Amino acid sequence: MEMPSAAPGTPPVLQLVGICKYFPGVIANEDVNLDVRPGEILALLGENGAGKSTLMNVVTGIYQPDAGEMILDGYGAEFASPQEAIRAGVGMVHQHFKLVPAFTVAENIHLGWSETPRNASPAVLEARTRALSEQFGFPVNPSARVEDLSAGEQQRVEILRVLARRARLLILDEPTAVLTPAEARDLFSALRAFRAGGNAVIIISHKLDEVMEISDRVTILRGGRNVGTWETRECSPRMLAATMVGREIVPQDMRARSEGAAPRGVAPELSLRGVSVRDERGVETLSDVTLDVFGGEILGIAGVAGNGQRELTEVLTGLLSPERGEVLLGGQTAPPGADAFARSGVGHIPQDRLHSALAPPLGTTDNMALREYRAPPIGGSGLFRADAALALAREIVGLAEVRIPDFGAPVRNLSGGNQQRLVARREMRIASRVLVAAYPSRGLDIGAIATMHRYFAELRDKGVAIVLVSEDLEELLNLSDRIGVMFHGRLMATLDAEDADIERIGLLMGGRDVGEDVASGGGVA
Amino acid sequence: MTRFQRFPTAPARLVLAWRAAALVAAALIVGGLLALSGRDVFVLGELVLRSTVGSRFGLEDLALFMTPLVLTGAAVTVTSRIGLWNIGGEGQFYLGAIGAAGVGLYMPGPQIVVLPLMALAAIACGMAWIVVPTLARAYAGVSEIITTLLLNFVAGLLTYWLATGPWRDRVTGALASSGRISDAIPELWGVVHWGFPLSLAIAAGLAAIMTWTSWGYEVRVSGANPGAARYAGMPMRGRVIAVMLLSGALAALAGMFEVAGTVHRLQGGMADNFGYLGIVVAVLARRSCLAVIPAALLMALILDAGIVLQTQQLAATAVLAITGLVLLLIAIGDELAHYRPVAPASSTRSGAAA
Ligand SMILES: Nc1ncnc2c1ncn2[C@@H]1O[C@H](COP(=O)(O)OP(=O)(O)O)[C@@H](O)[C@H]1O
Ligand SMILES: [Mg+2]
Repeated sequence: MEMPSAAPGTPPVLQLVGICKYFPGVIANEDVNLDVRPGEILALLGENGAGKSTLMNVVTGIYQPDAGEMILDGYGAEFASPQEAIRAGVGMVHQHFKLVPAFTVAENIHLGWSETPRNASPAVLEARTRALSEQFGFPVNPSARVEDLSAGEQQRVEILRVLARRARLLILDEPTAVLTPAEARDLFSALRAFRAGGNAVIIISHKLDEVMEISDRVTILRGGRNVGTWETRECSPRMLAATMVGREIVPQDMRARSEGAAPRGVAPELSLRGVSVRDERGVETLSDVTLDVFGGEILGIAGVAGNGQRELTEVLTGLLSPERGEVLLGGQTAPPGADAFARSGVGHIPQDRLHSALAPPLGTTDNMALREYRAPPIGGSGLFRADAALALAREIVGLAEVRIPDFGAPVRNLSGGNQQRLVARREMRIASRVLVAAYPSRGLDIGAIATMHRYFAELRDKGVAIVLVSEDLEELLNLSDRIGVMFHGRLMATLDAEDADIERIGLLMGGRDVGEDVASGGGVA
Repeated sequence: MTRFQRFPTAPARLVLAWRAAALVAAALIVGGLLALSGRDVFVLGELVLRSTVGSRFGLEDLALFMTPLVLTGAAVTVTSRIGLWNIGGEGQFYLGAIGAAGVGLYMPGPQIVVLPLMALAAIACGMAWIVVPTLARAYAGVSEIITTLLLNFVAGLLTYWLATGPWRDRVTGALASSGRISDAIPELWGVVHWGFPLSLAIAAGLAAIMTWTSWGYEVRVSGANPGAARYAGMPMRGRVIAVMLLSGALAALAGMFEVAGTVHRLQGGMADNFGYLGIVVAVLARRSCLAVIPAALLMALILDAGIVLQTQQLAATAVLAITGLVLLLIAIGDELAHYRPVAPASSTRSGAAA
């Protein structure tokens, strides 16, 4: 193990010595040493479930360590709560935001803060918020309601909330997972300004390019243990990936078919014909979309999040019936309802697993039965056979390579990456014809992403049609046979991946229709 | 060094152990206070024990208290499983009593026909009483807590009006009750009627349905995350409607049992808070239909002991305070059951400065 040597004369802002944290049947952290110095950005890397979030929760007083100590500015420190941590200058922005959606930005900033003036009018709070926003360089709209903000804007509010309380150590848990590339750039320049003031940042991320760009040093956790700390400039993405996973990750061209793979189908498995959808406010969120997905191919859907992808996946999986247009399953008018789609072999990995794909308070057994409880062996004649459900859950958990100590314990306690693996495996089981996957690699580490991509390729080779929605163009280009681009609810174009280049897709994503051979309704090969 | 850590789940074993401890603590505290106010605790304690579990008369009383509590407790429990709260058990109880009394008073016939008819009428009335909150919830998202609660007051007044007005007893001229209903649920053991085993069987049956049927699974998932229910294509709205109607029917059946088993009349105020106590029973049962039975037993014990203490010149408010104390301590016990010791770290520790 490599002990980072502190630069002479600068005691670390925070030093962890031998931190251990255990959950029933799980070693989340064991014997972790780590230090962060003033004026540096430290990246914390590790696979899903490596214990990164847990370690940072220990640092910010959400959990108490089972062993080990924390040293803040050279003095031993113990935080009984996040409030104590922030008073000592340690603040964290979580993977899942903790703002009050119905409150305004100014109210959220001032909530639970000892320096909030008593009985202050909204105007006063907003003025204070504006001042803070200018001081720290995080532009926010103080009078806006948080629920109306985009993920990136909400995150700015979270960060400002922490900085306003005079944090000297800012901890960010996967901050860019929900950001558009432009928002991520803004975040990074703000972090650099924060660092320039002699403050420290710990950033958790799975995106190695970002880590290379923003961090000064990198600490890697594996299986809850610290496997080392390096100067970023001595690292390469490839070496980081290998250290994280404990083996070499060889990039593969997933577009290559395996031997004996099913050929691309001639008749489409799933088709949309002029499909339009309106939201409850009457705004058209999907406009006149026509597309075909064939068996044995991967159709990528590119686009900036919020341009109709959610509606598209919901129409493709029967959750939303179109206002106009037709959905065809295997050439026939599709039966209505998500249940009927699932029974006809349409799997769905939705974009927000906690809100829709899982029931967080229920156990793994109940959650894994969600797609198959109606038919034997679990269902049939109105019964629910718990033993058969448990057997199914064991099978899926085994395939997903997740460790579940207690199948009855709420899935809410699993790490985000493990939840995603379970959902992906459950859906791939039923996807005998079509798999619709929205942002399936969000929150997964690179090892898990590579595995998931391999599964998709295997599924494709078995003749299943796959629709892959992603913001990551590299992922799309690496996997897809064709790529459709969404903008403002329209399918701008469908390109063959071979002659699609990033520039062109980028322009289409911005709504600029430049191609010569591009039909406005979305051409089909 | 062992540490205690809060876990998100509490194993049933620990819950039971802590609740037992809570009951003992409550008994000690109450005993201590009574002793301080100069009463003979042992005499009182013996009296309470003898007149609840220590005598045939006491046991019969317990069973009579338990019967409606099991049903109203189950009524609240089934809604809690789908994430809703039926606070209107009291009102549905009254409507069940009204339906049963209406048939019993005005439809003569052989008992074998009339009793089932009374039950059916009770169930229909109870469902009718919850149907508006149900539809408002299912179609407009109106909180069922407020609507079901408000209807309780209407139902209470309706019962008074019927019992003192159109259905009043013209034979004995009793003031606040209807005439006597001749058809009664047969007695099983002393004054304990067949409603008692029936209510236990209903609770057990509900538990089986909730655990072993796909309907119960759908209710469970819908309650845990409506988004997941929609995702899986479950008929969420249908399940909400069914569960709420079932809940109304259960509370109404409690009213029918009370009319046909114990009171034999329609009486103003006869629900006697059984509907509200059902909420307490449901909270004690922690969403389990089977656990409703021991929870109702505990509640019945508390009620019964309270009555005994009142006969010993203890103020009704003191009895109420004791009830509150017991429930408070049990709530604390439930929270403590989330804590478990975690193994110390020493066994796997290697040197920190390797
Ligand atoms: N509250 C909890 N109860 C039980 N296990 C937990 C809890 N929180 C995290 N874990 C487990 O601890 C391990 C580390 O999780 P986490 O710190 O979230 O990983 P990471 O953030 O690196 O993906 C995982 O195996 C996870 O399932
Ligand atoms: Mg995490």
